[in-house]
Amino acid sequence: MKLKNKLLTGALIASVGFGAAITYADDIRVGITMRMVSENGQAYGQMMMDEIKGINEAGGINGHMIKATLMNDECKSDKGVANANKLVFQEKVHLLIGSSCSSVTLPIVDVTAKAGVPQLVPHSTNSKITQKGSEWVFRVPVSGRYYGGVNAKYVGENIGTKIAYICAADAASVGDCANMEKQMKARFGVEPAYRADVQEKEVDFRAHMQKIKSMNVDGILVAALAETMARALVQSYEAGIGEDVRRIGSSSASNAPVPKIAGDAVKGVFFAAAYAAADQRPIAKLFNEMVKQRYDIHAPDHDFSQAYDLVRIMEIALKNTALTGSLADDRTAIRDAIANVKGYEGLASGPISFCAAATPQCRDGNRTAVLIGYTKGGENFETEVLARVTMEEDFGLE
Amino acid sequence: MAFDLNSLLAFIIFGVTIGVVYGIVALGISLIYSGLDIVHFAHGEMYMFGAFFGLVLAENVGLPYPVALVGAMIITAVVGMLVERVFYRRLTRAGGGYTVAGMGMIICGFGMSVAMVNVAYFIWGAEAEPFRANLDYIPRLQFPGDIEVPESYVLTAIISVILMFTLHYFLRYTKPGLAVRAVAHNKDIAYLMGINVPLMISLIFGVACALAAAAGVLIGPMQSVQVEMGYLMLMKAFAAAVVGGFGSLPGAIIGGIMVGVFENLGAAYISASHKDIYAFLLLILVLMIKPSGLFGVEAKVKA
Repeated sequence: MKLKNKLLTGALIASVGFGAAITYADDIRVGITMRMVSENGQAYGQMMMDEIKGINEAGGINGHMIKATLMNDECKSDKGVANANKLVFQEKVHLLIGSSCSSVTLPIVDVTAKAGVPQLVPHSTNSKITQKGSEWVFRVPVSGRYYGGVNAKYVGENIGTKIAYICAADAASVGDCANMEKQMKARFGVEPAYRADVQEKEVDFRAHMQKIKSMNVDGILVAALAETMARALVQSYEAGIGEDVRRIGSSSASNAPVPKIAGDAVKGVFFAAAYAAADQRPIAKLFNEMVKQRYDIHAPDHDFSQAYDLVRIMEIALKNTALTGSLADDRTAIRDAIANVKGYEGLASGPISFCAAATPQCRDGNRTAVLIGYTKGGENFETEVLARVTMEEDFGLE
Repeated sequence: MAFDLNSLLAFIIFGVTIGVVYGIVALGISLIYSGLDIVHFAHGEMYMFGAFFGLVLAENVGLPYPVALVGAMIITAVVGMLVERVFYRRLTRAGGGYTVAGMGMIICGFGMSVAMVNVAYFIWGAEAEPFRANLDYIPRLQFPGDIEVPESYVLTAIISVILMFTLHYFLRYTKPGLAVRAVAHNKDIAYLMGINVPLMISLIFGVACALAAAAGVLIGPMQSVQVEMGYLMLMKAFAAAVVGGFGSLPGAIIGGIMVGVFENLGAAYISASHKDIYAFLLLILVLMIKPSGLFGVEAKVKA
């Protein structure tokens, strides 16, 4: 009886082990955590899943299917970290993608560094993400340190140096403000004419705008998430600040809620981003058309393009990875394959390249920012490309 | 910021315009408190629902802004009465204030708040919606020193004053208003006098929710409309109600204006980044000097 039990137990263990090996050999597990509380956020996530589905339908990666798990972190760091832990330690993903928000991505970098899981960042711009020294993190979007330089150069040379700063408390906006401020000081030797730190979801900017109005500034930088920025823009006009005072947006000005909520107040606002829907390249036109058909989005912002580019980069890296069946070894191999992606030409305004060193120079792969201006607000907003600038890899690190 | 008289005037004017909105919401909170002896913690969500109803009526149905405002008030009043009838009635029947039922009512209010936010998420989603009201027929007010008050702020002030006087007239000079006051004073005696107390309680809830809706529709064009807009407004309105004296209707309005002006001046001359603190600093100050609030009675003992 005892022998029978032992045999049964042994058979059970063997079958479980064999089953796990089969599953492991078959699937490449990818975990995605993103902000998906808005229509656009849901569309970014859906687009990633659709693109991964497309890869699987085309035969997968070297015969392996990609099994993707998509989770919503609502742009909250506690939820993002919980998602990352679940994906890394329970789902045992080979690769983690996330997050959309810098304030969520920053703590996730520590989770992936500790667990030894390669992490591809889809949207977050805060320059500290790659300055933590993790050898597991790669950023597809343009880092805030580059945006700060592009904005500062354009503002100082074309608008003036007396700039008021309104900085929301989210990590991306804090970084955008700090980078612009740093670059304005470095290039033109000026301090902010006015600086206000506001809450992430501030609704009332009237006191700030009244103060700014009395200062006769050349421009106002509004660094905030989309809805907060839109409110600030509207209230700047309500306070009587004229069109001659230029409004500068942080990179989230690219997001569709800004022109939708701000309406006419968005006209003339310019910002640095990674992609412009007004881009005339054939690949961009095709992409715009695809997003419109699939997700009914009038003009995709750079979060769409970055999500798309990220999936393509992931595909290239996975194709160049020889999977061994050992989770730890495969994670390392995928990391090394991502580090070997060089000169990827996609929707981004310039090539994306990574390298092995755990430095911002190597891990901020996209160094080309495009300066975009709004020419029309509302649902059917329109933009124009003002400039396209590729920065030196160590720009903003000194 | 350097002091100058024009700026001071501008900050006071903008403080008053937002303050009257706090006052309107506080008025509803005070009305419910004075009538039912309960603090309604889901009132911020009534404000949010009202704003969305107004938005739907104006943008989707195509009604003019003032009509949408009235429509939103009516719909929110009906929703408020339904909520009171279906969810709160059993608890309010058992008594409010410091009773066990009163505590249950507070917890029920919290639950209702969470439930309403989730219902709103389900219906309207998480994105902020712009409320583009055509207010071309309202003049921009010009004050000396290059101070301009936008149309939406002027309209807010006008509508708020109209609402306050309408409520005052209703409570003072109409029979239902008298019945409401009788219920607020003593429900048992009101019963004995032949007043339909449950109906009056529903009416109080309806009127309070209509006021919250009006505030939501008024604030919509300034700050856009979103599901999470109720929480901060509720906090400010509570501060206004307590500063003015909980249960005092004139106190709610005065408290609202004081909170609005105080936070605007604090933002202007101390730090704009900590604007939300000033309302509560004022609250603490007033409670230290006069614990019952400016217009509240020292020890409220109901007959």
